[in-house]
Amino acid sequence: MLFFKELKKLVCSVSYLLFVVLITAALYSQGALDFSSERLVEPQPGGNYGIKNEEIPEIIMPAALQALYGEYMENSYRTYPIGLYKNVRLSAEEQMRVAEILSDLTGLGREVFLHAREGTGSGGDGEFIIIGDDVQSDGNGGFIVSPGGAESENRDMGEDLEFHVRSDITYSEFQEQMQRVDTILGGGSEYARESLIGFGAVPVTYDEAVSRYELAVNTDKVTGGYARLFSDYAVAMVLGIFPVFPAVIMSMKDRRAKMSELVYTRMESGAKIVLVRYMAVIVSVMLPVIILSYISNGSVWGCYDGMELDYLAPLKYDLGWILPSVMISAALGLFLTELTETPIAIAVQGLWWFVDINMGYRSVASSYSLFRLSPRHNAGIRSFFRTQDFIDNFRGLLVNRLLFAGLSVAVVIAAIFIYEAKRRGRLNGSYKIKRAFARLGKGILHRRDQPEA
Amino acid sequence: MENAIEKSDIVLRNNLIKRDASIQIKGLNKFYGKKQALRNVELSIGQGMFGLLGRNGAGKTTLMKTLAALLQKQSGEITVCGVPIENAREIRKIIGYLPQEFSMYPSMSVGEAMDYLAILSGLGKRDRKDAIQALLEKVNLTEHRHKKVRALSGGMKRRLGIAQALLNNPRVLIVDEPTAGLDPEERVRFRNLLSELAEERIVILSTHIVGDIEATCEDIAILDEGRLLYNGTVEGLLATAQGKVFTVGADRRELSQFKKELLITGMHMQGQKAYVRFVSEQAVYDAKICEPNIEDAYMLYLNQNGVGARALVRTGGEG
Repeated sequence: MLFFKELKKLVCSVSYLLFVVLITAALYSQGALDFSSERLVEPQPGGNYGIKNEEIPEIIMPAALQALYGEYMENSYRTYPIGLYKNVRLSAEEQMRVAEILSDLTGLGREVFLHAREGTGSGGDGEFIIIGDDVQSDGNGGFIVSPGGAESENRDMGEDLEFHVRSDITYSEFQEQMQRVDTILGGGSEYARESLIGFGAVPVTYDEAVSRYELAVNTDKVTGGYARLFSDYAVAMVLGIFPVFPAVIMSMKDRRAKMSELVYTRMESGAKIVLVRYMAVIVSVMLPVIILSYISNGSVWGCYDGMELDYLAPLKYDLGWILPSVMISAALGLFLTELTETPIAIAVQGLWWFVDINMGYRSVASSYSLFRLSPRHNAGIRSFFRTQDFIDNFRGLLVNRLLFAGLSVAVVIAAIFIYEAKRRGRLNGSYKIKRAFARLGKGILHRRDQPEA
Repeated sequence: MENAIEKSDIVLRNNLIKRDASIQIKGLNKFYGKKQALRNVELSIGQGMFGLLGRNGAGKTTLMKTLAALLQKQSGEITVCGVPIENAREIRKIIGYLPQEFSMYPSMSVGEAMDYLAILSGLGKRDRKDAIQALLEKVNLTEHRHKKVRALSGGMKRRLGIAQALLNNPRVLIVDEPTAGLDPEERVRFRNLLSELAEERIVILSTHIVGDIEATCEDIAILDEGRLLYNGTVEGLLATAQGKVFTVGADRRELSQFKKELLITGMHMQGQKAYVRFVSEQAVYDAKICEPNIEDAYMLYLNQNGVGARALVRTGGEG
């Protein structure tokens, strides 16, 4: 009975209505509520079946070398040091070290690469701008760099610069040199040892495409793939952060209504009150999610007449994939709000979600690492049918989801202890944590008010 | 089986409470950081209405919250109807509490708010229905049952506050400054309600409004800066002021002089004339002796215990 009271308290509010509208709008804007345009089609011989990444040194080494040369020439390197995109420009000395690595990888002298850089124009602020150089593959894993057109008239380098990866270099040595580049760049680049596979793009063969199709039809029963894609969008776009809002609202409601003491002096235990409220938050978030997941999945049911579909797939993914992210977000919201009596949980969860999303930016295709708040399985059109990828990574996903569910329970237990302590007056008044957060808030406001130097 | 255990548990509890229908406080000390809010308080409170009087900041609210198991004491012993205060779960079963500042979820109706709190009080469906109906009737809110809490007047909200505090039919009702902000009519109605409730339970009324105590309580205690200044009957307190309350009529222009010299407890104006009521160990000017009321006795008692008259009229801070 208490559960329904708490649920009603939460659901019958403008803020909840806004919450539902926001998650619906966010998923709609990403096309996650209607997948009818993304149909699973049986592969036919001679078609294009997309690409995949594999660790094939013969493909990775020249591709990585080409990319490095291009970025070296522009002195503009893409990195994601803490998951966020960062453009790195190197100093002359660091560029020289990259030139040495290029020299070591290709067998050409360091001066060749330095000279190639000198052939580019200066941006006037110490930076160089590449003018018209064109890097082309020679078909044998090597490259021909041609000088630009009209601008090249005044340049010394009138001949093509031809280079390729040294034939005597092993893949392991290549990885080591590329790792050095990554270190020079400050980490998080595509040249890091574990990221080099990104250069191993190969076309999917007909047989592989057929195998994928059969897995999608027989194992996923088609709808499983769509449910997976919906889950990917739902957690990454909204449910990694939004559940914190109802949790914070629920936690602050008693205090805002000046009702805390009326509730504290009741017979029910703090454990029951906090747990029931937590459950109410979870159910209030999951209800629209389940409905939206069925709207999304149902959008394709009509496309597969005569095929065996798994109509429970959305529910399975809602509970197995989405729920743990909702649980941790809500648990953190309850805990931090009880602890600080401020909405600081929104900022904390927002930061966590933002970093998590950006950390996964380069591995959207599939990312199930242990501490990922938002596991990903989405890499372009129809990639959601990569059932084999999912099967291969299922154990990782399972451990990740169980970890977050377990962590949520631990955080809720901590929230119960805080609630009971406050109820008995052990944390009332100007206790240290609350004061620290208040000071932090004041500090931020104060700094914001300061005129910039 | 579970029901039978629950019933026997209730019978045991009721027997225990019947045996000891009192609150015993011994050597109670409470600190907020370095500030001592209660100093070695010793009190025994029996059935009926008990008034706790003191200025704002005297420690009344701290004492009330400690009795409601909402605050931890630093030292001393408290038993409520024989139950040690440390046993918060049992304490919550036998007390009803109306805080000084409270409200309820504004979007809930009166009936919904009562039902929510009744569920938290562990009442079953039928008990909830009966208790809510009876209590709303008692506090004269039956016809406002469907009204939103946000639409209630201050007096109605206070009455709803009393009704929620009685949901578990408590042996002890603790009400903190319940008449603050009420108009005279509501205040009288509220006092009568509390008196009625005190017929079958302990009611502790904390207030800085002396008139509330005079109208309702037999036993009182006066707190000041956490110390217990007085513990006894209202008559006993009045007796201390017998022969020490005077009235004098004077020209308005003399008022400022009177204010400097006398401990004034009341005055009224008639044209250019001012009639001043004051407490004093002996008659001064042409003052006539008169019967003391509780306000006179309270002021005199505080004054005798080193609390200045100027301080008495000062307000602010939590009780």
